[in-house]
Amino acid sequence: MIEFHDIYKSFGSKHVLRGVTLTVRKGEVMFIIGQSGAGKSVLVKHLVGLLKPDSGRVLLDGQDITHLKEKEFYPVRKRCAMVFQNSTLFDSMTLLDNVALPIRKHFNVSVKESRRLAVEKLELVDMAREAERYPADFGDGMRKKVAIARALTLNPDFVIFDEPTTGIDPISANIVDRLIRDLSDRLGVTSIVVSHDLRSIFGVADRVAMLYQGALILDGPPSVYRNSGNPIVDQFINGRPHGPMEV
Amino acid sequence: MSEEQATMQAGELAPPAELRTGFIHDVVGALGEPVLHVYREVRNILGLMLLTFFYTVFRRIGWSAVFEQAFNVGNRSLFFITVVLGFLGMILIFQSGFQAQKIVGDLQMLGALYVQMLFREFAPTITALMLATRVGTGIAAEIASMVVTEQVDALRMNNADPVQYLVVPRFIATLVMTVALSCVSLVVAFTSGMMLGWGAFGINPATFYNTALLEWGDLIIFLLKSTAYGIAVPIIAAEAGLSAFGGSEGVGWATTKSVVNASLAVTFLDFLLSGFGYVVLFS
Amino acid sequence: MSRLLAAIGARALSASTELGGMVIMLLHIFRGIFTWQMDVMETWRNLYKVGVKSFPIVVVTALLVGAIMVIQTGALVAQYDAYGLLGWGAGFATLREVGPIMIGLMFSGRVGANNTAELGTMKVTEQVDALRALAIDPMTYLLVPRFVSIVLMMFLLTIVGDLTALLGGALTAQLLLGVEPLLFFWSIDEYLLTEDLFNGLYKAFTFGFAIAVVSCHFGITTSGGAVGVGRAVNASVVASAVSIFVLDYLLTYLLG
Repeated sequence: MIEFHDIYKSFGSKHVLRGVTLTVRKGEVMFIIGQSGAGKSVLVKHLVGLLKPDSGRVLLDGQDITHLKEKEFYPVRKRCAMVFQNSTLFDSMTLLDNVALPIRKHFNVSVKESRRLAVEKLELVDMAREAERYPADFGDGMRKKVAIARALTLNPDFVIFDEPTTGIDPISANIVDRLIRDLSDRLGVTSIVVSHDLRSIFGVADRVAMLYQGALILDGPPSVYRNSGNPIVDQFINGRPHGPMEV
Repeated sequence: MSEEQATMQAGELAPPAELRTGFIHDVVGALGEPVLHVYREVRNILGLMLLTFFYTVFRRIGWSAVFEQAFNVGNRSLFFITVVLGFLGMILIFQSGFQAQKIVGDLQMLGALYVQMLFREFAPTITALMLATRVGTGIAAEIASMVVTEQVDALRMNNADPVQYLVVPRFIATLVMTVALSCVSLVVAFTSGMMLGWGAFGINPATFYNTALLEWGDLIIFLLKSTAYGIAVPIIAAEAGLSAFGGSEGVGWATTKSVVNASLAVTFLDFLLSGFGYVVLFS
Repeated sequence: MSRLLAAIGARALSASTELGGMVIMLLHIFRGIFTWQMDVMETWRNLYKVGVKSFPIVVVTALLVGAIMVIQTGALVAQYDAYGLLGWGAGFATLREVGPIMIGLMFSGRVGANNTAELGTMKVTEQVDALRALAIDPMTYLLVPRFVSIVLMMFLLTIVGDLTALLGGALTAQLLLGVEPLLFFWSIDEYLLTEDLFNGLYKAFTFGFAIAVVSCHFGITTSGGAVGVGRAVNASVVASAVSIFVLDYLLTYLLG
């Protein structure tokens, strides 16, 4: 279980997060939605220590991980993996080596063994055939799948997806969505998905939390969002350019 | 990419015998590839140079852009050049003074020889090398960023030729500033060398002003070199910038290529012009 | 007047910030080396990349530098008809000063700039963060192998470069000045000491050190997208060049 308690975060004069309190239950797929710049990515980066809050606490299964030092975050990062928005595969290695790297580093296995294990992970995302090729040869959708495979190498309990379907074609987006749903159903992985893709929200999410101007304005299952009664939520869900929301 | 995948999946056909690569093929390819690569590079650079010359002479020049670039290249490199050449002057005098003391014992001619060397070799060449690093990477980075963010394409869409608009001002500015900064280098290295000579070896500063050894040839070589470098560096940097592709990685690659090619070109031109100087001017 | 002082002060402050950052990074790197936490695969890969990539350019530069030094010294030597001193004059300058400096500058351009560009690109495309998210320390994985490769290769390539430069010099001496290679090399053998060679090599080692530190620092602290990478490479080569000259002066003074 993940808990954010009253997180405040600013960058200079920009107050990105103003007192966000959120709980993510074990095994569920939680979507965090909101406008661009609402603080979604910033919030989830606190979970793996890539950012530290100005005030507030972050708890992972009851352990306070807010102020851990970089080295102390390593065990946390093994339990809680992150798939970045830009896939961020390592350009200088093949897809296979990309996935094999964390295996080689964290499980005391030989290079050959790590590659074998990497192939298994790639099969999970149906990319095993392209294993010897380089990231530059592929489009965003396929790179994203490999990034997911890489994130799964340490068998995490939690996975954070930062805008997994933004900017990729509908078919690949669908594949990614089903993968996320699959992870939860089959492997019991808790997923936190940062997104503003409405199709994914209504197709995959167990719960949805919406951030607006740094604060949480709604938190509940997708059905709540269809008729929320909140004009801001309403405007966002229906994609209307005019309304109370400051664009 | 997807087409390629589809084609391959339609029955994994093996490539025909003539296309299969063997060891000999690989060796010949490995030898020939760098040559082709160098040829292509040189051809591109010379092409850009001719185009730039053409635009400089036959088209209207945006002088405000030239002055802006001249400030970038000249004024902002001044501190850097002064520091480097200052140290260089001290190094040269220290080394030669030390050795001359051991072998020859007489340091009278050191000043005059030193000045001659400054004119012929060190002032223009080291200045150019430093500008190749600072200005060369600067120009390449600027232009490369514009290429990868599609600003150059936008220029073309507005019927503005990138070479005329981007390269020519930087070319003129760098050429003028290279010669100017080479003169500054002369003064700086001269001064620092003279001071160190006096401070470390007690050499009379007046010997540095001894122009007995200085000939017109030295001045000609100085001007030839600094002009040649001033042409080579911006053209090469611009060519590297214009050939960029692929996001931030492309910008990094373009800046690296610029500094390497420009440094190499300066060294090569130095060799050619020094040889020319020796054979023609000093025999 | 106060604006000039402010400008100098600002420059000094930013320079010292960079310098401080480099020292801290250096401490991390040393700790990684001495606790044997290097990633072996990455180190091999970098040794190969750095060595192979810069070999041709060092050889070409060295040949040219050797030739140039002979040409310049040749003019002097011809004046005094002291051809026996040609090898010494050109060789001395090459081994002690011009060789390490030119090879250093070339190396800084070929390897240093490339290193900064690679690290910078990785930083702005969040690949460095991706490593951290996988609980892999970027210092030991990225920086230590590169640091070791650059220092080692600079040293080795300068040895190769010195020899090549002397060869280039001998060739030029024969072709341009009509000085027999035998005389040229006798002159070197007679007047140059091993001390002169080692002098240059100490410098090469130090330059390599500087290039490694500077390029890694500016690479790993890049920010600001594609433009930031360009700026980082620029800063990296400029700082390397200045370091080379300043260090050269210090070493010349200390080593005599």
